[in-house]
Amino acid sequence: MSERLSRQPGEVIDRAASLTFDWNGRTFPAYVGDTIASALAACGVRVFSRSFKYHRPRGLLTASYLDPGCMVQVGDEPNVRGAHRLVESGMDVRSQDTWPSLALDVKAANELARRALPPGFYYKTFMSPGRLWPAYERVLERFAHGGVLGSGPASAGREVRYDKRHAHPDVLVAGGGPAGMAAAVAAAQAGSSVLLVEEEHELGGHLRWGDPLDLAALRELREQVDATPAIEVLTDSVVLGRYDGNLVSVVQRGLPDIDERLVKARAKTLVVASGLIERPYVFAGNDVPGVMLSTAVRRLVNLYAVRPGERAVVLTANAEGDAAAADLERVGVEVVRVDARQGGDIVSVHGRSRVRSVELGDGRTLGCDLVVTATGWTAAVSLLTMAGDVPRYDPRAARFRPDPSLRSPDVLATGGVVGDGTLDELVAHADAVGREAARRAASAPAGPLPELATRAHPELVRGRTHGIVDFSEDVSSKDLFAAVAEGYDSAELAKRYTTATMGPVQGKLETVNVVAIVAEATGRTIAETGTTTWRPPYAPVTLGALAGREREPVRRSPLQSWHERQGAVPLVAGAWIRPEHYGDPAGEARNVREGVGVIDVTPIGKLDLRGPDVTRLLNLVYVNKWSKLEVGRVRYGVMCGEDGVVIDDGVTARLGDEHFLMTTTSTGEAAVWTWLESWLQTEHPEWQLHVTPVTTSYASMNVAGPRSRELLALVVDDVAVESEAFPYMHVRTGRVAGVDGCVLMRIGFTGELSFELHVPAGYGLHVWQTLLERGRDLGVRPFGVEAQRILRLEKGHLIVGQDTDGLTGAYGAGLDGLVRLDKGDAAGLPELRWQHETRDGTRLVGLQTTQESLVPVEGSQLVDHDGLICGRVTSSRLSPALGRSVCLGQVEARFAEPGTRVTVRLLDGGTTTAVVTEHLAQVDPEGRRLRG
Amino acid sequence: MVDESVVAMSPIATASPETVVSGWTVSARHSTAALTLTDHTPLSKVAIRAPWDGALAQTLGVRFGRTARASWDVGPSTMHVLLAGASPGEWLALAAPGEQALVVGWLEDAAARTDELVSVLDMTHGRALVRLTGASAPRLLAKECGVDLHDSVCPDASALRSLVAGVATDILRDDRGGTRSYLLHCERSSGQYLFDSLLDAGREFGVEADGFLAPGI
Amino acid sequence: MILLPCPWCGLRDSEEFGYVGEPRGRPNPLTTTTEQWRDYLYLRRNAAGWTTERWYHRMGCRRYLLVERDTTTNVVRPAGQVAPEPEP
Repeated sequence: MSERLSRQPGEVIDRAASLTFDWNGRTFPAYVGDTIASALAACGVRVFSRSFKYHRPRGLLTASYLDPGCMVQVGDEPNVRGAHRLVESGMDVRSQDTWPSLALDVKAANELARRALPPGFYYKTFMSPGRLWPAYERVLERFAHGGVLGSGPASAGREVRYDKRHAHPDVLVAGGGPAGMAAAVAAAQAGSSVLLVEEEHELGGHLRWGDPLDLAALRELREQVDATPAIEVLTDSVVLGRYDGNLVSVVQRGLPDIDERLVKARAKTLVVASGLIERPYVFAGNDVPGVMLSTAVRRLVNLYAVRPGERAVVLTANAEGDAAAADLERVGVEVVRVDARQGGDIVSVHGRSRVRSVELGDGRTLGCDLVVTATGWTAAVSLLTMAGDVPRYDPRAARFRPDPSLRSPDVLATGGVVGDGTLDELVAHADAVGREAARRAASAPAGPLPELATRAHPELVRGRTHGIVDFSEDVSSKDLFAAVAEGYDSAELAKRYTTATMGPVQGKLETVNVVAIVAEATGRTIAETGTTTWRPPYAPVTLGALAGREREPVRRSPLQSWHERQGAVPLVAGAWIRPEHYGDPAGEARNVREGVGVIDVTPIGKLDLRGPDVTRLLNLVYVNKWSKLEVGRVRYGVMCGEDGVVIDDGVTARLGDEHFLMTTTSTGEAAVWTWLESWLQTEHPEWQLHVTPVTTSYASMNVAGPRSRELLALVVDDVAVESEAFPYMHVRTGRVAGVDGCVLMRIGFTGELSFELHVPAGYGLHVWQTLLERGRDLGVRPFGVEAQRILRLEKGHLIVGQDTDGLTGAYGAGLDGLVRLDKGDAAGLPELRWQHETRDGTRLVGLQTTQESLVPVEGSQLVDHDGLICGRVTSSRLSPALGRSVCLGQVEARFAEPGTRVTVRLLDGGTTTAVVTEHLAQVDPEGRRLRG
Repeated sequence: MVDESVVAMSPIATASPETVVSGWTVSARHSTAALTLTDHTPLSKVAIRAPWDGALAQTLGVRFGRTARASWDVGPSTMHVLLAGASPGEWLALAAPGEQALVVGWLEDAAARTDELVSVLDMTHGRALVRLTGASAPRLLAKECGVDLHDSVCPDASALRSLVAGVATDILRDDRGGTRSYLLHCERSSGQYLFDSLLDAGREFGVEADGFLAPGI
Repeated sequence: MILLPCPWCGLRDSEEFGYVGEPRGRPNPLTTTTEQWRDYLYLRRNAAGWTTERWYHRMGCRRYLLVERDTTTNVVRPAGQVAPEPEP
């Protein structure tokens, strides 16, 4: 560790705990507490990466969370901030996007091709001829910047774990520097619960690398925070954004067993104490490794005991720059001060992978290996702008300042982001703001807030030459001038055209410089040019953190474990998991037509309706009439919306005078319940009835096939099942397989004799297994959703949402016979009347392909003689019963006559012909089997 | 009523060892962890719908957002019932497994004495119910639920309904012996998923599945 | 993300609710004209500013409720502070 200094008073490394790690295949030493960058810098490493576009060597600029020159790959994890991530024993760290190596990167040839790669070059190049786009993609891929996912040696081979939690602090303080800490303590002492969030690994902000007085103040503030249990501290955590109602998202790192946790905090008051971020100075060579900001120097020397160079030239315009020069001299670095307040300036820096010399404004050229700039500060106002603040430029202080007049009153600010002062003044301001935050969190009326003035600071953006403005995106001041010359002359346009401020740093280091240079290029002031809008996320965030823990909501039928044991192929339908088939859907379907099959239909929506006014609701929501439905009968109904469009269908059974059981489609269950409640709560609160979903109260199973009655007789204890005793479209309740409270309906989606059993869910598996055992001699087999689809299609039974769409009205769905227009009121009644009168639109028809074995894919278009689309195939299958294709389709009314020939356009572009069939049902069109 | 030999199953896979209590397959596990999660699905669960400010509401004596325990006499037996004001005009009555018919009967009698529209539905089979007990229970729930469960906002004996792990769930705070405890009640088909989500979220607090103790409420 | 003041449950995150929209009087279905009916189906004031709107607390008390929302700032308050706007 050639550049490691002796013990520094505020150092964060633990010299008693040393470890090793690898950098680009070589082993390096480090101490616990070192970041990847500080450990490497301690060993004299100066080049950490290659820039985005031109692949120029880059070193440390800020030596902090934001450092753009130090994004590295750690094991399997790309885009790690090397100047923030703590070293762990055995870490495998590599530079990103360099080939063949960091030292010799062939892609630096990009720089030679600079003229062909001006800003916005991708808007002008790689466009034509369009057919070469696959080739362009391959080239661009190789030059895409960033790390690698999933290849290379995994660090410790463990899986990444994400987590999420909600928090409800009274006050959330964003920023753990002295102002943040003081505000948190004040708010907690005033009775609030406080969440204090700090980006760095410890609290303290700039006090950490300060002088002995700063370190003493730091200790005191930390003790106060530790002594206040109402403050929860999150370090190594970033506030990503502030949303309506003070919803604040935070990504927390540094937890054992969890890589990243998303904290969704709903704060009553938000206090932004995000501080000041140092700005780079723009000049030729300002990105050569060895050129860094004063805060980078102070961090390296005071936190990590690293000497950043041997001969330094320091361009300083403020007290922090002076302090950096003093820190360097203290640890034995030769320092030449250039005072910008007295007109001193840097013209250019020479060197490629390290600083060799610097040319000053007074004409001198000095040999050196370190150039430090301290030319200004940017207030970190992002979170405030997310709360409505519109910052104003203060030319005297040379920075943008928050303007609370438009900001939401539950968002306050303190510390450097607001103004300047001595440490005591900043702490006093923060204390007052913290107390006010607590008051507002307790819903007291908003009180006044103290002011914090700013110190004057010279406005220094660019020297006499052109240099890099956005280090992440490799955008130079020359590029910005070129953009303005091309007409992109506002901050917003220049940003988007050049991509300046759009990299991982997200503008924190460069926005003001971008604005200032656009102002310079357009002859306006910074205040006139304005600034870009800061939006969440404040910092790049992994998709994994946003997703939280792996979670996939699943709804299971009581029979699902049985289906799985039988090897059923799972089908995810909404949140339900269902058996698609058990290996042979055609065979399952045939078994239903010839013998008896059983299917689990638990996901079917079921609603319990009770009260004297149930029939009023049924008449309102269904297109047919319900008042005369007798107890013990079942009726099919279709629901339309107020626009006359079909929204759901199902059967409803009358179990008693004032007791009905409604079924809906499985996907429509929630929507129908909401629909019914909207009528009851907003239009007819006077109606006396209750609607309760009972979908999951029952395990529902369909016993279908010519032998279904025989099977039923073997399991039913107290219900007569003969045809005269239990006719088609009737309902009974009784005991099945020893279980009371079962509901049996004789209905038939499959078109065969069939019975739907609804069994109290806890006994569902028992009844299912009983059916299969007792029905063995009858050849009973389970059948899945696919077989059911085939069977219902053979019978021409529509599926809402598949054979109908968002425009299909009741008449278009072929439900002419069901609709009653002579009702008092019904949902969509006027539209149904007008549909009936005009009779245009599409119709649901059966289709038979002339090539009988050809099954056109669902969605295949139907076209007329002119090649114009006149419909589509909505459902299609190969029918095992008929040995040919069966289809349903929607087609324009003029083609809906049975016998009409239509052309079907197939997926491969070819066509075939289909004929509109006489009936929708292809099997047993008279429906005899159902009523047997 | 069922055949003696027929046993009901919960939607949540039973943590071994298994046993049968009141006609339900339940877990006989005993955990000593500080944070436990137990499947209470076998409990009798009856849903009541009635005017939120009517005569039956008076009889039940539990407002929306609160829970209370009651003792109801049915013939010679006394049922111990936990009543929750689940939503305006909707109550949930929880009792020992096997007692649902008695609970329904008691309620129908009480309803008959009013002239209001009352619906009493046995939802024992239609819902899943789990109990989460331990001092870190609110921290676990904070990972899966966005509602503030702090003592000042959600004290003992409060009831609310929100999303837990993305599932609409009744949260009933019902502390046991001074230890934080919550009953979580959702529609049956999401029961296993809710249970699994809570075990996963609770890993950092050392949560363990515990067994069902009769009578359970 | 925005907080809605449910009259029963208190302030809750909008993810618990379904958005219904500006309430609008339902014409008499027996006497309405196509124009009146389709205005009812599809036309709303859609003002920039305070709007009365209906939400449904799907994942909570399952009651329909009205709130007032300033559509330019997303500030929400319980309904009843302004008189409901007449139909356009």
